[in-house]
Amino acid sequence: MRSLEPWVEAPLTAFLAESGARLTLLMTSAGQVVAQHGFVRSLDVMSAAALGAGIMAATSELARVMETAPLESVTHQGKALGLYLAAFGTPRGRWIGLVVYGSETSLGLVQLFFARLVDDLSRTAPAELPPRQVLAEDFEHELNSSLRSLFGR
Amino acid sequence: MSSLHSVLGELTPLPGVRGALVVSRADGLVVADALREDVDGRAVAALAASLADRMAGVTRALGQPEPVAWQLVGSEGLLLAAPTREDLLVVVVADPAVNAGELRLRVLRAAERAA
Amino acid sequence: MTGDDIQALTAQLARDPASLVFLPLAEALRRRGQLDAALAVAQGGVHRYPEMAGAYDLLARIQSDRGEGDLAFDAWTTVLRLDPDHLGAHKGLAFLAFRAGDHARSLRYLRRVVELKPQDASLRAALARVEAALGVRQVPGFGKAAADPLRALEAEPGLALLVDLQGRTLAGGVTDRAGRAASEQVGAALAGISREAERTARLLRLGAWRSLSLEGGPAHFELRTPTIDSVLLVSRPREVPAGRLALLAERASAAARRWLEELR
Repeated sequence: MRSLEPWVEAPLTAFLAESGARLTLLMTSAGQVVAQHGFVRSLDVMSAAALGAGIMAATSELARVMETAPLESVTHQGKALGLYLAAFGTPRGRWIGLVVYGSETSLGLVQLFFARLVDDLSRTAPAELPPRQVLAEDFEHELNSSLRSLFGR
Repeated sequence: MSSLHSVLGELTPLPGVRGALVVSRADGLVVADALREDVDGRAVAALAASLADRMAGVTRALGQPEPVAWQLVGSEGLLLAAPTREDLLVVVVADPAVNAGELRLRVLRAAERAA
Repeated sequence: MTGDDIQALTAQLARDPASLVFLPLAEALRRRGQLDAALAVAQGGVHRYPEMAGAYDLLARIQSDRGEGDLAFDAWTTVLRLDPDHLGAHKGLAFLAFRAGDHARSLRYLRRVVELKPQDASLRAALARVEAALGVRQVPGFGKAAADPLRALEAEPGLALLVDLQGRTLAGGVTDRAGRAASEQVGAALAGISREAERTARLLRLGAWRSLSLEGGPAHFELRTPTIDSVLLVSRPREVPAGRLALLAERASAAARRWLEELR
C-alpha cells in the first residue's frame, strides 16, 4: 500500500485487512491519486483513476438529468471480479474510492468496511490546507513525483 | 416462495430476537429484513454470509454437505443462520436468553419457506 | 518371602519398634496382597521416621495398590520434597498421572525417570511405548514433542482436530467421509474461522465468541477456541445428541487449553 498522505495509511490498511480487497485506489474527484494498493504499474493507476473519476462524473450527470440526488456508488459485478466505486466527502474535499475484489470476499464486506474507512478518514483527516495552485509547468513534475511516491521509487 | 417479509414475521415475535434477515449468500447483501433499530442489517448480512462461506469450506474439506444450520454463540448474543435452496441465508440475531431450541426450529422452517 | 519370613520380621519389629525392618516387612505384605496390614506397618514407619523418603515411597505404593490415588500422590510428593531425584517417586507419580488421564504430566515424570537412569533400557522402552500410545509428536510452533490431549477424549479416533491460526495440526486428526486423512485440508479451512467468528461477534455486539455449532447432514460439528491462537473442531455422527456433542467439545477444549498452557 502506498499513500501520498500519511494519515490515510492506517485507515486504509485496516480496510484492506478487513475487506479482502485486491486493488484499491483513493483519489480526489478530479482523478488525482491519494493512495493505492495492489497496482503494479503506474500507467494502470493513472488509467484507473481517470476512468473511475469519469464514471462518477458521468453517474452524477445522469442523476442530474433524471432529476434525482447524486448516486453515491456504482457496482459492477463480473464472474471473477467485482468493482465498487464510491464517492464520499472528507475534510479535504470530495474523494472517490475504487475497489476491485474477488470471490474470496463479497460486495457486502467491501461496502461494510468501506463505510468504516470513510468514517475513519473523516475522523483522522488533519485540517484542510489552503488550496495551492498547480502551475502548468509544475504539473508534470508533480505527477511524476506523486507516482514515484505511490510506487516507492 | 412465500413473501420474505412474512417469513421474517414468524421469527421476530420470539422474545429475545433482535432482528431477522434474508441475505444474499453470493454478495452478502440484505434481501429483506425486520430489525430492531440498534441492529446494523448491512453488517449482519455481510458478516453472516462470509462466515457461512467459511463454514461451508470446513464441511467441504471433510467431504460433507453444507451445514443445514449454524449458530455462533457469544457472551452477549447469538447469530443463527440457515441456508435456503435459492442461495439465500435466513439469519437471526438474538439475545443470549432466547429460547434457542424454538428459534432453531423456526429458522429451519423459515429457510424452507424462503426457498 | 514366605509366611515364616514375615512372621520373623513381625516378631523382630515387635521386639524393636525403632528397627528399619518395617521396610521389608511392609513390602512383603504388600506383595502378598495383605494391604491393610502393609498399610499399618508402613504408617508406623513413616510416623517414626518422618524424614525418610523410602518410608513414604513404600506408603505411597501401598496406597496406590489400595486405589487411594490422592493419598499416594501426597506421599510420593513428600518423597520428592525429601529427595528430588527419587526414582520410585517419579515412576509412581507417572503411573498415577497416566491412570488419571493426565498424560502430559505422566510423560514429564517418565522422562525424568529416564534422565535419572539413562542406562536402563527397559525404562527407555517403557517411555517409548507410552509416547507411542499417547500419540506423542512434534507440535508445530513449540519445537518439542508432546502427547495428544485429544486422544484420551476420543472414543473413536478421527473426529477431533486442534489447529493453530495458520491451520497447522497441533493435536488430533480428522478423516473425510471416505475415511481418508483430511486434517491438512480441514486445518486450512479452519485457519481463518476464528478471526472471522471473532470479527462477527465483535461487530454485531455478540460479546466474546464461545462456540460455533454446525448442523450438518450426516454429522454435526462443534468449534471452540481453547486459546486465542487455536481452534478446535469436534465432530460426531448426527445420531449423537447435540447436547452430548457440545459437552464433549467443552471437555476437549478444556483439555486442549491445559495442554497448550503446559507446552508454553
